[in-house]
Amino acid sequence: MNRPISTYKRVQQWAVFGRLWFLFDAKWQNPFDSAEKIAKYLAGKHKPIYHPLSDVGDHVVVINTKDIALPNKEWRYRMYYHHTGFAGGSSWTSAWELHNKDQTKVLWKAVYKACGGSLLRHNMMERLHLFPDDKIPQELMENISDHMKQLRPVPKALHEYTEEEIKNFPKVFEWPEDYVLN
Amino acid sequence: MSHRHLFLQSGFIKTNLQNGVGRFVNQLQRINLIFCKSSGSSKGVREFIETDLVDFARANPGTVVYLKPRRHRGTYMCAEYLNGHKDYITCNNFTRDEVRKWLEYMKNKSGFPIIRLRKHWHTDHPSIQGIWNPFTHKPSYLNVTTFPEKERSEYQPLMPSATEQLLQIAEQVGFLDNSNTNNTTTTTRNTENIPPPLNMSDEK
Repeated sequence: MNRPISTYKRVQQWAVFGRLWFLFDAKWQNPFDSAEKIAKYLAGKHKPIYHPLSDVGDHVVVINTKDIALPNKEWRYRMYYHHTGFAGGSSWTSAWELHNKDQTKVLWKAVYKACGGSLLRHNMMERLHLFPDDKIPQELMENISDHMKQLRPVPKALHEYTEEEIKNFPKVFEWPEDYVLN
Repeated sequence: MSHRHLFLQSGFIKTNLQNGVGRFVNQLQRINLIFCKSSGSSKGVREFIETDLVDFARANPGTVVYLKPRRHRGTYMCAEYLNGHKDYITCNNFTRDEVRKWLEYMKNKSGFPIIRLRKHWHTDHPSIQGIWNPFTHKPSYLNVTTFPEKERSEYQPLMPSATEQLLQIAEQVGFLDNSNTNNTTTTTRNTENIPPPLNMSDEK
């Protein structure tokens, strides 16, 4: 016998199955490691209520995809293959070329691969929003309620330190004035 | 699951309005015993009626017992429950004892149809803390913060990096506070044309 659930319980249930919007800063992040984590959130596998038959995935908004950091020589040697279907129509595009064409494409392809081969993949990819810089449309920004943690520290470049910080940085010794460094 | 269970409905175990929290209400409201006065297949039911039925009715004042003699028909019992569900059991060639047992069985049922349980656990109160929702265990400052927020986003390593450790040591030694004076001393050292690493080791 099915009884209608009470108003309070109904609202509770809405809360349980509500979708969250996460913000992920891709600056200096490995896109292939990040894609694994993003795919997990898109599928809802980070939730205790996860079940493959229930659609509980969250939205992920990724910013700064132009600043992703590929490991080793991947920029040069990672190839993206495409075939037009015509004779001699195969082409290989290296990661740096693809990144020049579209600064979100490398991460998009990494997440697409990490989502697996199931029929749910396209619905999951629709919940992914990629932006090359940190400018997000206002209507997306209003939805965001939490951050996804970055997977590795963002290194601080020398030009980001102030003059004072560089001057006061502790030195073990000082080079002699007549010492030629380069 | 065999083919016999193909039409078995599936669902979750439940009780009637938390039956038994205040007092227990027997869900069996009415039991009909349909039997024939002459046929042999009703013999056990007739014996039960003659000997045990009055005791059963006295022991269960919440249940109405109906007897329905029907000529030359099969015998069965029909139980009606508080939720409106009806259940039948054919009692042909039952002994008196079997009739008593099946009557007990009908008496103790909740009235819900038999289903395949999807989960073998059930509770009316899932958690004292309440049901999990996506905001459980989230820090409350997220409600008033503006994104992107660096502290929430950035990776937090377990150990400080080598640079941070070096800065910590320098702070402990007092290197950072006297940095200006140190600079002056190093310049004086340079004028003396002594290699600085040697100079440092000599000081120690």
